[in-house]
Amino acid sequence: MIPTLGHVAIVVGLAFSVWAAIAFIVGARRRDDALLASAQRSVYATFALVALPCMAMVISLLTHDFSVLYVARNNATTTPPFFSVISLWAALEGSILFWTLLLTGYASLAIWRHRNRHAALMPWVGATLALIATFFFAVMTWPGNPFTRVTPVAMEGPGPNALLQNHPFMGLHPPLLYLGYTGLAVPFAFGVAALITRRTDEEWLGIVRRWTLVPWIFLTLGITAGAFWSYEVLGWGGYWAWDPVENAALLPWLTATAFIHSSMVAERRGTLKIWTVALVIATFTLTLLGTFLTRSGVVNSVHSFTQSAIGPWFLAAITVALGGSLALLVWRLPELADARPPGAPVSRESAFLFNNVLFLGITFAVLFGTLYPLAAEAISGVKVSLGGPWFSQVNAPFFLLLIFLMGVGPALPWGTARWSTVRERFAVPVIVGVVGVLCAWALGMRQAPPLATVGLAGFVVAIMGDEVVRGARARARARGEAPPVAAWRLATRNRRRYGGYLVHLGIVCMATAVAVSATMGSATTATLHPGQSFAVRGYTLTYQRLVTEALADDPRVIETRAEVAYVGPRSGSLATALRAYPNAQAEIASPAVSTSLGEDLYVTLLAYDPATRTVTLRAVVNPIVVWIWLGGLVVGAGAVFAIWPERRRVPVKALATAGAGVGPAPDLGPRSADALPGDAAAPLREGA
Amino acid sequence: MRHLRWLLIPIVLVPLVWVLNFGFGRDPAEIPSQLIGKPLPSFRLVTLDGQTMTAEQLRGKPILINFWASWCAPCVAEHAILSDAQRRYGDRITIVGVLYQDTADRGRTFVARYGGDWPILLDPGGTLALDFGVTGPPESYFVDAAGIVRAKQFGPLTDAVLAARVAPLLAAAIDR
Repeated sequence: MIPTLGHVAIVVGLAFSVWAAIAFIVGARRRDDALLASAQRSVYATFALVALPCMAMVISLLTHDFSVLYVARNNATTTPPFFSVISLWAALEGSILFWTLLLTGYASLAIWRHRNRHAALMPWVGATLALIATFFFAVMTWPGNPFTRVTPVAMEGPGPNALLQNHPFMGLHPPLLYLGYTGLAVPFAFGVAALITRRTDEEWLGIVRRWTLVPWIFLTLGITAGAFWSYEVLGWGGYWAWDPVENAALLPWLTATAFIHSSMVAERRGTLKIWTVALVIATFTLTLLGTFLTRSGVVNSVHSFTQSAIGPWFLAAITVALGGSLALLVWRLPELADARPPGAPVSRESAFLFNNVLFLGITFAVLFGTLYPLAAEAISGVKVSLGGPWFSQVNAPFFLLLIFLMGVGPALPWGTARWSTVRERFAVPVIVGVVGVLCAWALGMRQAPPLATVGLAGFVVAIMGDEVVRGARARARARGEAPPVAAWRLATRNRRRYGGYLVHLGIVCMATAVAVSATMGSATTATLHPGQSFAVRGYTLTYQRLVTEALADDPRVIETRAEVAYVGPRSGSLATALRAYPNAQAEIASPAVSTSLGEDLYVTLLAYDPATRTVTLRAVVNPIVVWIWLGGLVVGAGAVFAIWPERRRVPVKALATAGAGVGPAPDLGPRSADALPGDAAAPLREGA
Repeated sequence: MRHLRWLLIPIVLVPLVWVLNFGFGRDPAEIPSQLIGKPLPSFRLVTLDGQTMTAEQLRGKPILINFWASWCAPCVAEHAILSDAQRRYGDRITIVGVLYQDTADRGRTFVARYGGDWPILLDPGGTLALDFGVTGPPESYFVDAAGIVRAKQFGPLTDAVLAARVAPLLAAAIDR
């Protein structure tokens, strides 16, 4: 009964989304408000009509209704309730259901929020979103029906994929990623609408930037959470392997980040418009590609745990979305040509332009590396793959240059920079960077890429610190405020700019932690009898005993754990385990991670002999890994700070003096070296 | 010249779609078996009924080795197909089930419910599954009368697969 209800809701949802798309298009052409209102209501209805089957699926999972094929494949009578609920996204059909829920949620929100504004734009935004929703409803109606029934009904199921039930982060990482992926449909819809209605003005940019930043935050947190999960669960001591599906999440993140930067130039200088719209389109197409890679089993990856009939549907969707939006773009190309020449070579525009080139370079390299094995096999029939080292080697220079630009960009003025400005701005930060490199050298770092990362990190942080201190000081002087108060007010009145700095700070933190932990770790592997010890960089680990028992919350899972005491910079005990899941071929590692701000002690149980009680342990000391996760949180916090609604201020005199050209100007830090920071900009601020 | 910009669309689209389209029809999880053309791995295991069975005992007739589990949904439907096969081929082939990562009790309950009286081997520790390189149930192997592994079926058996795989084994057995 409940599964049938779920499927009926999906079919009705398909009808509503088809109607919404038609009504939006016809309504827009005839300027028929009643039709448009009906279309809007239909979009809200699709959200309800996918929420219902989501609930039906969760109930089916919780009640272990094995008559539903999806439940029979991804659940067991002993699966704990938490993992039953999150099995909604444990496999293909459920993921698409959940995906559609988020997509229609975003669509409803976007349409509701802008219902009384942008009369020309919104029907096309609605139509695009409704068409995307139609695709997902159609997939669920035909090839990917989540409520497919099975007879005879099995008595027991295998439970969720073992990797998915080994860590509670599986409840967080996929939803965050999906919130990122699906949300990027909204800027795409605005991009399509802008091309159709010929509106790529500042208002459009403002809306699209906000609708990009929200999913960007989720995507950033989702990628970080995935890296954290990989580190905590997979037991190899790393967090990023350039797996095709990791790359698939990174690709839209790269183009979305490029968009966030290029939109500032487009908004400020009226240039790069085609480029900006193209990035919006590329970003969404890459999310489709990501789903395609994850879910169709086209590339080999730990993530592609199913092969299915939906692959051709996704390929068709990618072709239509990419082909259609490219055609729109090419059609409007002559009208979107830049009115102004690009900025001087040393200016903020150029820094942004170069930033975009770098982001695109990384995107291309990652896309190439991900699809190369497939292309090579298609052409020559030979199976090849590009490993992690290839990706790291190719992308490291791009990332280093990006960090450099992160410091240089915000400190350069729009228009043309004077040599004296450059010298004044960069002298101290360069010294800080050099000192950073020398310190890292003294601590034993010898490889060039991590040394460069540390140096550049010092450089960037010094520039940002300088910006904040100068701004606060100037405001404190002008307003007679205490410096901390002045700094806070300056930041809250220039949210986009200071939020951006915080994001940059988080990224620098992550980059440094990645560079240091990837090159400065120590690892030792030892086979021990109970009572024996081994050492790894300052720690002595003593293997105490081996325990094998069923998990309390799922007795079908047998855990064998080695209890280990460690003495060193920190002392304590830990238990590192291997878990045997009934449906997994090999035992799944459950590494023990003892984390501190300075370093992680990471111990994996590689093998054990139940007869002799001997174990093989791998212990890794990973320096400053925790700063990757903290950096991710700082990035998220910075982005939230940047988009936090700001009180609109009425433009006063400053508008007239600060509007054009190189002079002091609003947001994003667009001010010349000579301008007084803070105050001159404040009256122009617009809600972020 | 102005129309050249339309070339952008096929330049981007054609290679991408071509490469992605190539990806279909391949299941990256399906690994070709290293055992094809090689002798059946030797084993000595106990069945659900407590009988001991070795690889050598099975020589002389084509064998269908089926790895399955009580918790595997496709195995339920496949079980009915195996029952049919047993009726159809009778003594001409030997069907052997191997319980994959499951308990004997669950296996017995399953057989009691869904029928079938071919021998089911218990594979504690999954050593036989490891020898065969099984990635997950159901997975089946076709072995000829001389004890050489001839084919692998990844995923549930169907009537069509059975007919196609068993016929050459029977023909070869008659030739012998």
